[in-house]
Amino acid sequence: MATTSIARQVRVGERDIALDPEGYLVILADWTPAVAKTLAEEEGRVLTDEHWEVIEVLRDFYARYEMAPAMRPLVKAVGQALGADKGKSLHLMKLFPESPAKVAARLAGLPKPTNCL
Amino acid sequence: MLVVLRHAPHGSSWLREGLDVALVGAAFGQAVTLLFLGDGVEALVRNQQAGALGQKGTHPTLDMLAMYDIEKLLVDSESLAERGLTLEDLQLPVAPIAAQALPALFAEHAAVFNF
Amino acid sequence: MLLHLLNRSPASSLVHRDTLRAMGEEDRLLLIEDGVYGALMPLADRFEAIHGRLFALREDLASRGLDGRCDARVTVVDMEGFVTLTEESERTVSWF
Repeated sequence: MATTSIARQVRVGERDIALDPEGYLVILADWTPAVAKTLAEEEGRVLTDEHWEVIEVLRDFYARYEMAPAMRPLVKAVGQALGADKGKSLHLMKLFPESPAKVAARLAGLPKPTNCL
Repeated sequence: MLVVLRHAPHGSSWLREGLDVALVGAAFGQAVTLLFLGDGVEALVRNQQAGALGQKGTHPTLDMLAMYDIEKLLVDSESLAERGLTLEDLQLPVAPIAAQALPALFAEHAAVFNF
Repeated sequence: MLLHLLNRSPASSLVHRDTLRAMGEEDRLLLIEDGVYGALMPLADRFEAIHGRLFALREDLASRGLDGRCDARVTVVDMEGFVTLTEESERTVSWF
């Protein structure tokens, strides 16, 4: 869940974007591609086309289901949208090391996935 | 695991909590069966919306179940009939289950979570 | 054999109907908390179908001033009896 507590703000263009203690957006509507880019740069990540298409899948998922997916449904959603080759946890682990469901949700401006560790 | 949903949407948080348990189970690879029983069948009614104060409904979560590979959805026929509902009134394809089959359903699952 | 636990009075809630429908032929039902109101007549008639497999928790009856007033078809158990019932069952299912 997005929390209402603001841990810090990050400057994106002319705007200050509020982040919760775990780095998720406090106001989901703040998201723009520039916000994703800034959040990624802070962590030393460079977003390629392959990252962006997953971010797109996540945003569609949230628009439909109002929840951020855990890893399994994320893999399934990516597979359905982008083809079986990409609907693999290995592919997502490569793009978003550590925890793809959490990292990608944060960059996509979704709340933290609630039902994954 | 069997998750029994017996509460209507919006009136309490029981339905959402039951769905959350089902999603967590599925996210960890458990085979989940959902049973809609009693007022829980109201969760399946079409055309639901957010609450009067904008609270999220549970209907998008029902659409999401397939993404979590939760595909065994059962609805108690008697509960539907008592509420004047038929399968056509429901948002998802669910399998009707007769009252006589309920005891076996409860008995055959190693874990039953009743919400 | 499952042990079902019901904590709602059949006078104010219909959940006992779903409980009864979900119960197998050997399953037992223990009335606890407000469920114990169902152990007295005329409400106890609602549980006619599980004659011999209906229990009520003494502590919850006593706290409501109902100890000794149960219908004869109801077996009254104390906390220790509750534990025994649980041990004799594969699992418990709570209804509320």
